[in-house]
Amino acid sequence: MSEDNKPTADPISAASNRREFLAMAAAGLVAGVAGYKGGRNSRAAPTAASPVASRSERVAIIKAASYTHDLESRMLQGIRECNLDVSGKTVLLKPNFVEFDPKTCINTDVAVVAAALNVFRTLGAAHVQIGEGPGHRRDTFAMAELTRYRSEIPKFDANFVDLNRDDVTAVKNFADRKEFFFPNSVLRADLIVSLAKMKTHHWAGATLSMKNYFGLVPGSIYGWPKNELHYIGIPKSIVELTRVFGPKSFAIVDGIVGMEGNGPIQGTPKPLGVLVMGSNLPAVDATCCRIMGIDPTKVEYLETANGTLGVTGETQIAQVGETIASVRTNFQLIKEFNQIRMG
Amino acid sequence: MVPGYQKGVLWRSFLKKSTVSSDRTIVAKSLPTGRTVGRSYLGQRLDFLRKSQNPDGGWGYFPGKASWLEPTAYAAMALHGDPAADRAWKLLMSWQSNGGWRSSASVQEPGWGTSLCVSLAQGRGDAPAAVVSGVNWLVNSVGAETNWLGILLGYFRHERDLRLKAWPWKPGDSGWVEPTAHALVALKQVARTSAVHDRIQSGEAQLLDVRSSDGGWNYGARAALGVDLPSYPETTALALLGLQGRNSLDSAFDLAARQLMETPSPLGRGWLSIALRLHGRPAFQDAASSEISTDIMLASVEALAAPDGNFWFMKAA
Repeated sequence: MSEDNKPTADPISAASNRREFLAMAAAGLVAGVAGYKGGRNSRAAPTAASPVASRSERVAIIKAASYTHDLESRMLQGIRECNLDVSGKTVLLKPNFVEFDPKTCINTDVAVVAAALNVFRTLGAAHVQIGEGPGHRRDTFAMAELTRYRSEIPKFDANFVDLNRDDVTAVKNFADRKEFFFPNSVLRADLIVSLAKMKTHHWAGATLSMKNYFGLVPGSIYGWPKNELHYIGIPKSIVELTRVFGPKSFAIVDGIVGMEGNGPIQGTPKPLGVLVMGSNLPAVDATCCRIMGIDPTKVEYLETANGTLGVTGETQIAQVGETIASVRTNFQLIKEFNQIRMG
Repeated sequence: MVPGYQKGVLWRSFLKKSTVSSDRTIVAKSLPTGRTVGRSYLGQRLDFLRKSQNPDGGWGYFPGKASWLEPTAYAAMALHGDPAADRAWKLLMSWQSNGGWRSSASVQEPGWGTSLCVSLAQGRGDAPAAVVSGVNWLVNSVGAETNWLGILLGYFRHERDLRLKAWPWKPGDSGWVEPTAHALVALKQVARTSAVHDRIQSGEAQLLDVRSSDGGWNYGARAALGVDLPSYPETTALALLGLQGRNSLDSAFDLAARQLMETPSPLGRGWLSIALRLHGRPAFQDAASSEISTDIMLASVEALAAPDGNFWFMKAA
């Protein structure tokens, strides 16, 4: 490997004490990543501020009781509340389908993806495509079958790009890497819609619209799982992905049924009945955290993004639709993340 | 979707009923359950591969896309003996760098695909010098977890023995099941120096160490936060390929046979068929799918997995 691609953080010096050291080690080991240079102790530092950082950001909380009732109109309502203009744009819908387990709800529900496809077409997008690069499984289309994407989204295969196996182009200065490859479908999109699932995450605290962008990284180069991101550091990778792609993003978080406990794979379903939307990913994710009973100031990647890539303070966010208090439901947290519970 | 999949209805029942029609499918026809398709099944896939070869001699993951090592290597194995395979090999040879092979023209750093090129060269009986340098590259490719820190951490956690050396997807990252399995196949195919022998032993032990509690393998972690993780069909198959020559794998074969019948993944079925055949176990004759996909890697693996396919490229000596 080239010198530039060597991870630069020293995992021991990054940990300030033995407890943190072991927590970091555990993160690496459980992911099969010993020598892991990241976790909660790898401080993310975005290299350039986003132009959206200082604006007061609109975030819409829209009630949606189920996946079968009136979903498109609810989604349209939220998008219009956020003043998003997609006319003439090439749109990439990025759902989260990372794994499949029929006993729980890991993935963005197919109804949300199907509704988004129709809604963005209705709003005048020039081209709408669905793209995902699952982190664990090689057969993306089989995953799409299990999640019912292939059967319930008309002409799914024609409208889908496997981001793990797309052609790629190098981007300069991603994290501490001299160059980092991303799929051409991602780089060419005018707008990326992060169709995330509202879930807890056993390494990051919560996985929402920002963390969902791990699926933009091509497995054809970085493997299954995308281990390079663990070496960069999970919070830092989340922040860097948001720095690069956040300015051309819109988030729709599927909180109709979220996941609590040992997410993002082994947690339990948490019915909530909301969609959370907005153009500023940190603002959307901070709002989701508050809805989940998580203090966003204690989620490292959000704290790092605050003020540089967006806003996360409640008073800085122009909340529209439902109030947080009216929909807040505490998500169960694993004991390692009890400290991020909102007071 | 897969009707009744969650209720345990077998995949072959689905094949009987399926009227799949999608843009991923360029040829679709229903097959009777268990029918031996034989030559036409293989022939259709080989024809598709010939037609989708790029002018540079390689294949993209999908037709019209830039050439990548992985689909090119599998397609070249499937088409062995065909001029198209020779053109592919010529391209792949141009991608060898410092002993290893780069994954595409746009990527400069060699990676795990080196294993596929060593196996391809061995099967072709070609390029002995390239094989030697490829083997040397593989012997020196080690998951980044196998360092003093990793070994130290191994005393605190017991989910993985970090003294055992796996192979990474790319240098500098950790070792995982799929690249480890392919490296083991490649190294077992070449003459055994002591260094090669040691890596094979350590790599096999590593695969066995990360085996899931259900008897198979996933990407390479048997548990997360103390909770068991399930195996996947495709990685179970690949691990079995890497473990050719090992005994005491009966429970894995039983699992693989069940996965072959149940998984909706044609890629998983392809790899499972190859693994079971190379272990002398039965693999059902329709070789999985009634359709030809525009997914070139999948079409190549299915062609290799056919009863008369070139699955022997994955045979460890």
